[in-house]
Amino acid sequence: MRIQFMLGEIANGVRRNASMIVSVILVSMISLFFLGSGLLAQREVSLAKGYWYDKVEVSIFMCTAQSTGVPSCADGKVTPTQQSQVKRDLESMRPLVQEIYYESADQAYKRFTTQFKNSPYLAQVSPAAMPSSYRVKLSDPKRYDDVVNAFSGAQGVEAVSDQHNVLNTFFSLLKVVSIGAVGLAVVMVICAILLITTTIRQVAFSRRRQVGIMRLVGASATVIYLPFVIETLLATLVGAALAIGLLWATVHYGIAKLFNGQSGNGDLISLIGVNDVWSITPWLLLGAFVLALVTSWITLRRYLKV
Amino acid sequence: MIRFEHVTKRYGAGSAPAIDDVSMEVSRGEFVFVVGASGSGKSTMIRLATREITATQGSVLVAGRELRGLPDRRVPALRREIGVVFQDFRLLEGKTVYQNVAFVLKVLGSKRHTVKQLVPETLELVGLEGKAGRLPHELSGGEQQRVAIARAVVKKPAILLADEPTGNLDPETSLDIVTVLDRINKTGTTVLVATHDQSIVDDFKKRVLELKDGALVRDEQQGGYLRNQDFDHGSGRRAADAG
Repeated sequence: MRIQFMLGEIANGVRRNASMIVSVILVSMISLFFLGSGLLAQREVSLAKGYWYDKVEVSIFMCTAQSTGVPSCADGKVTPTQQSQVKRDLESMRPLVQEIYYESADQAYKRFTTQFKNSPYLAQVSPAAMPSSYRVKLSDPKRYDDVVNAFSGAQGVEAVSDQHNVLNTFFSLLKVVSIGAVGLAVVMVICAILLITTTIRQVAFSRRRQVGIMRLVGASATVIYLPFVIETLLATLVGAALAIGLLWATVHYGIAKLFNGQSGNGDLISLIGVNDVWSITPWLLLGAFVLALVTSWITLRRYLKV
Repeated sequence: MIRFEHVTKRYGAGSAPAIDDVSMEVSRGEFVFVVGASGSGKSTMIRLATREITATQGSVLVAGRELRGLPDRRVPALRREIGVVFQDFRLLEGKTVYQNVAFVLKVLGSKRHTVKQLVPETLELVGLEGKAGRLPHELSGGEQQRVAIARAVVKKPAILLADEPTGNLDPETSLDIVTVLDRINKTGTTVLVATHDQSIVDDFKKRVLELKDGALVRDEQQGGYLRNQDFDHGSGRRAADAG
């Protein structure tokens, strides 16, 4: 009886305050969209960094059977002798060289498949095309040129790269995007809180006689508050669902179509996909839930005395 | 059932008290009129009993609870034992007579069959058989007040408080309403009626408490509206002594 009755009350409230409910839906949609954009930008940064970015400064890629047109790879796939020579040379550069990691072609392929799972390139890359590599951590990162110079053109070495140089511009762009998105999200969340507060006060005013009678006959605070809280919760969650849909559309039709397959200089940047939208979904829903619950409860406690 | 012990209520610091050192007691099953001019403190007394407001000094005891120390979360339980009726009825306009009365039970979480049983029973008690499907604006003032009374008593409260229940009604209808309240009192409910309606007080010969400028100036069994000169030697000293 009580549940059916409460659902009836809620349906009534939604019908009578439709425009306010719609505005709560829209504001929460926009605020959660920006919040989601910020989160996705963060995920893009950590995804693009990949496994090695934060661990090493310089990567020395060995020749593969497919390396052609590089003089130092004239012998084809790197030989064990060439490989141990590179290793010995690296050891001799201690203490500048602090750590040396070796990644085999198989390990590299595995990592590549996870990192680029959203990329159309994945299908075109065979395990044979993946180079084995030495990943080097330096005691003084500023002196990476020393290592680059020492190994560029060495026999069996296809390329020496400093990924920080490649990715830093991209990351600073993403940082601006994510700070901007989170900043806007904060502003919009404030809007959402103010709007929810106003909406609840207005709804409470339009139902003051009913609420007055409920208080008078001894309804508990929960019974009086619950219809308001559930209405707000529904509106905010609908807003969250719309925001998630919007993020999905942005990633699915925007990012994936625009960037993937257009990488001109051959630098691969792994990109987020719709899976990343699904993995931030619980957080956005939780955010919406907390926003609605806390705001409505505090508003009711302040403006609707039992 | 209701006991005031040296109760004083000021609405603002330094303002004149709305209730001034009032001590009185209403026992279980009693019927009491509280009379006095407008602003004499009748409504304040009722609002103190429902804990809309708390006393500035002294203690108010209702249904075994001391209200000043009662935490907010215990207030709903107190109000479930009290029914309240107002001068302006306060019915929900969009709901029928039946729905208005059933609303209370639904809000309090009663079972469906309880509602189905209690609502018609209560409508009969207040004399509204056959009007269950009407909307409030289709009813006369007296009928609307009966609905309000039905709504107040459908949860079977121990106490019924009525604040000027006949204030908007003609004398004949007023008499009917008080008769209904008297009938409810006969079922064991303690009834307290605040009124300045002289004729009903005189007609019913019940206990009368008189307030003047917030002070209790008379407590008389089977009293009339106007203060008798022989009050000091009369039978109405009980509450004053109890305080």
